[in-house]
Amino acid sequence: MKKFKVFFNIEREEQWLNEQLQKGYRCTNISGLGIYTFQKTDKKYVMRLDYQDYLPKKKLEDYKGIYEDFGWIYINDSWLGGIRYWQKEEDDQNEIFSDRQSKANYYKRLMSYSFWLGMLCLAFSYRPYENSGLYHEGLWSMKGSLLLKAFLFETPFVLLKLAPALLVVFFGISFYKFYRKYSILKEK
Amino acid sequence: MKHKLLPLSETMHYILLALREPLHGYAVMQEIEKISNGAVILAAGTLYGAIENLSKHGWIEPVGNSGRRKIYRITAEGTAILRMEQERLTHILSLYEGSESNEEV
Repeated sequence: MKKFKVFFNIEREEQWLNEQLQKGYRCTNISGLGIYTFQKTDKKYVMRLDYQDYLPKKKLEDYKGIYEDFGWIYINDSWLGGIRYWQKEEDDQNEIFSDRQSKANYYKRLMSYSFWLGMLCLAFSYRPYENSGLYHEGLWSMKGSLLLKAFLFETPFVLLKLAPALLVVFFGISFYKFYRKYSILKEK
Repeated sequence: MKHKLLPLSETMHYILLALREPLHGYAVMQEIEKISNGAVILAAGTLYGAIENLSKHGWIEPVGNSGRRKIYRITAEGTAILRMEQERLTHILSLYEGSESNEEV
């Protein structure tokens, strides 16, 4: 069974994946484009998502080695993001983090990820040489149905122009959410 | 200023204690389960992060391989940290024991 789904929130993605596994599936593949492949199974599986930046080959081997010793199976990650998908058969050890410090560090990694993507989008949304409006200047002097048509035609391009700025807001909100969770875990 | 890993968390403390003997990652978890009487069972991500962190600060180091697994051991610096923590905890324990004679506390 293949399902197509796009997530902008790692915790919601984890939750959704586990809902599918609870229905008697196990995940066999995740493509970076949002295609999740599942297979029917009689066993119960759980999935946990970790975030790690790019790991050089040696480090990736150490990282995977330790998880695999604990019975976790690596589902190939997307080439874009640093989300690492781990699946295993459900038993009495179903978590990948067992203390506050490591869970807080997980949110810290997510914070820096949101921060840098936000900064990248901010750099893209900065247009020093473009002081014209969002829409073509001649647009507002058009009349009636011509105005409407031109308006509808230009809107997708305007959204495209605005996309980096909208993403800055999105990553800013994500950053703040991760920061909240991080600081709650840091409080003793 | 105090080192950011001090005072040691329970996880870090147990890992340093376990690595007075050379062990690979999974064996560290098993050893800790044993010496804590089953109270501390480390999860994979926590163990990985802690090993990374302790290596970065030079408190433990890889000393060899067993198949594809890396074997770690505490360093002289790590041992010094354990000694400091031992002093700190011994002092706290002495306060526990002296609490009956120090009523004003």
